[in-house]
Amino acid sequence: MEKSRAQLTWSLVAIVGFLTVCPVVMLALGSFSQGLTAFGDLTFDKYVQAYTDPALLDVIVNTVIFVLGSSVLATVLALFLAYLNTRTNIPFKGLFTVLSIVPMMIPHLLFSVSWALLLNPTNGMLNTLLKNALALDAAPFNIYSLEGMILVEALLDLPVAYLIIAPAMASFDVALEESSRVFGAATWRTLLRVTLPVLRPAILAAFILGVVRSLASFAVPSVLGMPGRVNVLATHLYEMISLGFATDYGKAAAVGMSVLVTSVTLIYVYRAFTAESEKYVTISSRGYRPSVIELGGARLPLFAAVAFLSLLMIVLPVAVLLYTSFVPYTMVPSARAFAAMSLKHWHDVLDDPLSLLALKNSLLLAIGGATLGVLLSVFVAYVTVKVRTRASGILESLTFLSFSFPGIVIGVGFMWFFVQTPLYATLWALLIGYIATYLPYGVRPMASAFVQVHSHLEESSLVCGASHLTTMRRIIVPLLVPGIVSAWILMASMFIRELTLSVVLSRPGTEVLAVQILKFSDDGLWGKLSALGIIMIVISTTLVIAATFVGMRFKAADN
Amino acid sequence: MRTLFVMAALLLAAQAHAADKSLLDAARKEGRVAFYANITAVEPIIKAFSVDTGVKADYTRIASPKFVATTITEFDANRLSADVVQAPVPVLELLKARGILARYPSPAAAGYPDWARKDDTMTLFGIEYVGLIFNKEQVKAADAPKRYQDLADPKWRDKIVMANPANHPSTISWLIGLKETVFKSDAEWMKFVQGLAANRPMFVASFGPTPAPVESGEKAIAISMPKYIITKAPAPLDWARLEQPLLGTPRAIAVTSKAPHPNAARVFVDYWLSKKSMEMLAKDVGEYVLAPGIYPPVEGMSTARVLPIRELSDEEIQKWGGEFKKIFALK
Amino acid sequence: MEIRIRGLSKHYHAEGKTIKALDEVDLTIPASEIFTLLGPSGCGKTTLLRCIVGLESPDAGEISIGDEVVWSKARGIALPPEKRGLGMVFQTYAIWPHMNVFDNVGYPLQVRGVDRALVRERVAATLRFVQLEGFENRPATKLSGGQQQRVALARALVAEPKVILFDEPLSNLDAKLREETRKELKAFLGKLKITAVYVTHDRVEALALSDAIAVMRAGRIIETGTPRKIYFDADTQFVADFIGRANLVKARVRSQESARTLVECGLGTIACERREFGAGAEVTLCLRPEFIHIVPGEASGDNVVNARIDSRVFVGEAYEVELRAGAEVLLARIDPDSELDIGDAIHFRLDPAHCLLVSS
Repeated sequence: MEKSRAQLTWSLVAIVGFLTVCPVVMLALGSFSQGLTAFGDLTFDKYVQAYTDPALLDVIVNTVIFVLGSSVLATVLALFLAYLNTRTNIPFKGLFTVLSIVPMMIPHLLFSVSWALLLNPTNGMLNTLLKNALALDAAPFNIYSLEGMILVEALLDLPVAYLIIAPAMASFDVALEESSRVFGAATWRTLLRVTLPVLRPAILAAFILGVVRSLASFAVPSVLGMPGRVNVLATHLYEMISLGFATDYGKAAAVGMSVLVTSVTLIYVYRAFTAESEKYVTISSRGYRPSVIELGGARLPLFAAVAFLSLLMIVLPVAVLLYTSFVPYTMVPSARAFAAMSLKHWHDVLDDPLSLLALKNSLLLAIGGATLGVLLSVFVAYVTVKVRTRASGILESLTFLSFSFPGIVIGVGFMWFFVQTPLYATLWALLIGYIATYLPYGVRPMASAFVQVHSHLEESSLVCGASHLTTMRRIIVPLLVPGIVSAWILMASMFIRELTLSVVLSRPGTEVLAVQILKFSDDGLWGKLSALGIIMIVISTTLVIAATFVGMRFKAADN
Repeated sequence: MRTLFVMAALLLAAQAHAADKSLLDAARKEGRVAFYANITAVEPIIKAFSVDTGVKADYTRIASPKFVATTITEFDANRLSADVVQAPVPVLELLKARGILARYPSPAAAGYPDWARKDDTMTLFGIEYVGLIFNKEQVKAADAPKRYQDLADPKWRDKIVMANPANHPSTISWLIGLKETVFKSDAEWMKFVQGLAANRPMFVASFGPTPAPVESGEKAIAISMPKYIITKAPAPLDWARLEQPLLGTPRAIAVTSKAPHPNAARVFVDYWLSKKSMEMLAKDVGEYVLAPGIYPPVEGMSTARVLPIRELSDEEIQKWGGEFKKIFALK
Repeated sequence: MEIRIRGLSKHYHAEGKTIKALDEVDLTIPASEIFTLLGPSGCGKTTLLRCIVGLESPDAGEISIGDEVVWSKARGIALPPEKRGLGMVFQTYAIWPHMNVFDNVGYPLQVRGVDRALVRERVAATLRFVQLEGFENRPATKLSGGQQQRVALARALVAEPKVILFDEPLSNLDAKLREETRKELKAFLGKLKITAVYVTHDRVEALALSDAIAVMRAGRIIETGTPRKIYFDADTQFVADFIGRANLVKARVRSQESARTLVECGLGTIACERREFGAGAEVTLCLRPEFIHIVPGEASGDNVVNARIDSRVFVGEAYEVELRAGAEVLLARIDPDSELDIGDAIHFRLDPAHCLLVSS
């Protein structure tokens, strides 16, 4: 038992290590090498230069505020929504699923641009509206600020947090809450003293994923931070990379190394906080139907809050996207703008054979990549949760390795790595790169689902004579269906819009949607960009519906 | 004397034609050509090339910050698939220094200005020209700047959008170009830069996002590229007709030294520099090209003076980027 | 099938300390008996069970089941649990919530690739055996605790295992149900003639169910024997105290007689069941409350002690009283209809056969 677990652990360490360590090692080599590639004479100059930059301190302060602010906001919002959806009698629960998933499909660049159109201080649509309505002298909001960046990044990270927290909340053992109620604690107190502490692994996982993601985020800092002259790490790295023509990725990697160290430290902190995972085991055999809390008079106000949030997160940005895809150029809505609407951008995008090829490739990568990725994630999550040895700790950190490296740099790491292999310039390189980089999207939801499956359920299968594989297939996987669906959705919708790796690794024949998007964005063609963005959303929605449907069928089949 | 000249020219042309024929046959035998470029929206030329020559062209678009990294990584690993590379001159200079470029003086560049053929590896064919683009519904042509100095006028306060002068190489080069070729003295130039900074321009990451705020009316004027007047039509954009010349970093094209399809590469470069391609580039994409007599269909551009910026080293760009960061550091 | 365990050790490392969960355990569990591992929590009994079933790997030693060595450190044998062909009932039952009763019970056969029709037949027979006939299509989560327990038992039995193991299977049931289920279990196991290893910390369960009991403490087996032997004739104070309620009185050996050992203690001179101690040895006299018999009226003679009733508690089938005799306070049981009350002076007699001497 322990031996086979150790074997499994070490083989996973080898696989995941191979996937994630190679590009990072290439970057590490690059950061210590003279010249512009991964191989050169040893030098520490890049570190000296990178870390003696006087601007760095300011950048770090901004980054810390930005990252903590957005992760806290995203986690709190996700908790709020997950609790309302899974535990209360709030109406229109279907809305929550939509709310949690749609923003994930919007390319981050477009989401940020939408918010600039809504809340820029000069003529942002919402600002103008408020200014006129309240007879103000100046625009009430400025999206080009640290607060604006935090808001938009939090909204972008919210779906990930929700998809991790909601399944945990749904399979929570009600007895724990009920006993708190019996001992005289009111709903609120129960929530604070029992529900949240028991959900600690899922909450921490969501928070840490948010931290890592916002550290690596580039869209929000570049679209909203740069005009507001708020420099964070991602834009600082961009500055290092774009200044001059002989781009020195080694120097950027030198800065990236400390981001990496921060993230890996966070993972260890997380493991320490959740060390006694058995304490939180909640699904046992005695049924798992969460009780519903009557909201009473708060039902409608809370629903109004959710409706407002969905307006902010979905309706407005998607409406802006739709609108932008119809108007000939960037216009403030007006009678003239509506008169000028046409399908021109749509025709341009759909008539382009490259777009169709990109569409095919992206679909292939999303479905194939998410499936393979989830398969690997099931094993990795199993080991990180159920086998708590040093090796499993290493494994967990490994999954975060390329994920936590700033996006604009890790792509080059993968290029430096893949160019040494025959996979270079093939779809396989993209597939492997995607899985390696976004493995946490698969592992995190799976892990928080795993934490809740009592080890006896698995052990009894082994004692019954089932092999580990059979146990995985017949016992563990069916119990994990909600986690698996979450993981698949997260990965597939990420892969549909993946940009950072694609832009480096995509070649003629292996074009993907995001590369098309980037091309339009470099030319400032927001109309075509929006049309393609909506196509992406439609594809992702279809995938999500399909995944949810399959998940439900799978669950039903065994009951 | 004159007859001799004509005869010689005819002879050369005939020879060239024969050479063309055999080169094209060899290219067809190779079947394809791979093209790495930082220029966008050139798919129509790629398509036309394949139709006209029967050689399949694969176009990979690589943005400037990744261009050098990608090509030298592939070259060092013996995996460079590009037969032809196109990028700003400083980028190709870096590749040339590493031996990635082959010698190929294309006959198709015959009528180009002398400086377009600066050596026999790369041929300059266009200028990434920078101009002042304004929203003609918000700004009357008469109120548009007449000279660069006018941008420092406080009436443009909070109304300018530009790429971040601390990190956008083309904008940095443009500002230095102004110093060296337009302004009479460094002091006068510095006054202009400081005045521009005092007007608190909004910064974006590159030229790409500069027109959108002007189109929508968020800002009134952009330090941007006049080609957007073509690509973003019917947006209400116009360019400021300045008494001073427009400046830009030259674009160049070259054949790679270990090209897997060397003949197809030459055919491609010839085709690229031909009148037909350059007309497409000017007409469809609004590019400023060096082929004689071809201008982008931007009103007034055929009479404008457009000059290449001297090639700047990375050290200079970094140094000035740092300077501009300080000058523009206003909150 | 006989289970032989030799020199089994298992250590855990936690917070820099080494905990010996199993310390050189040697044990033979005879075939076709119900064998109980009894001990306080943390004594290593569950670890030992999990080592037998293969869910944990010992650090040293050897385990064989029947003729087959399933684990041997020295010989590098480590048969995984799924290859050991055992059955087990878990403390949590580990009923799979996503399956119905049929799939839960049929699972061991299904994973062995047994023909469908045969699976159906065997599941039905096993369910009949555990008195859950016709429950096949119930979702597992819709069962009561006792029913789940029986599903778990059916699952453990269905593949006719060589050995069946129980890890505190009754601890999640309420008192009445626990007693009923215990009896059922005894009846089921009695009919099956199967080797069963049962882990519990409940002495009543151990005494009622077992053919033999091994008492464990701190990773070691302290004593093994039949329930009667363990209860009446324990070798150590720990076992005597753990297996039932006992009054422990410090005593010193005065002399050995033919069938008796005489000791001096706070109760006077007491004749006890003979144990080989030298004169003057410090020992503990162990008296079970149910063997302290109050003698009516005046009484004197050997092993009669004068005492006073200090407290009295009615527990239904008896009064539990505290008797003060000199400096000692002894717990005793008297008839529920007794007239005796607090403060009354009484005498009690100790039968030397139930005066157990153990070394201190």
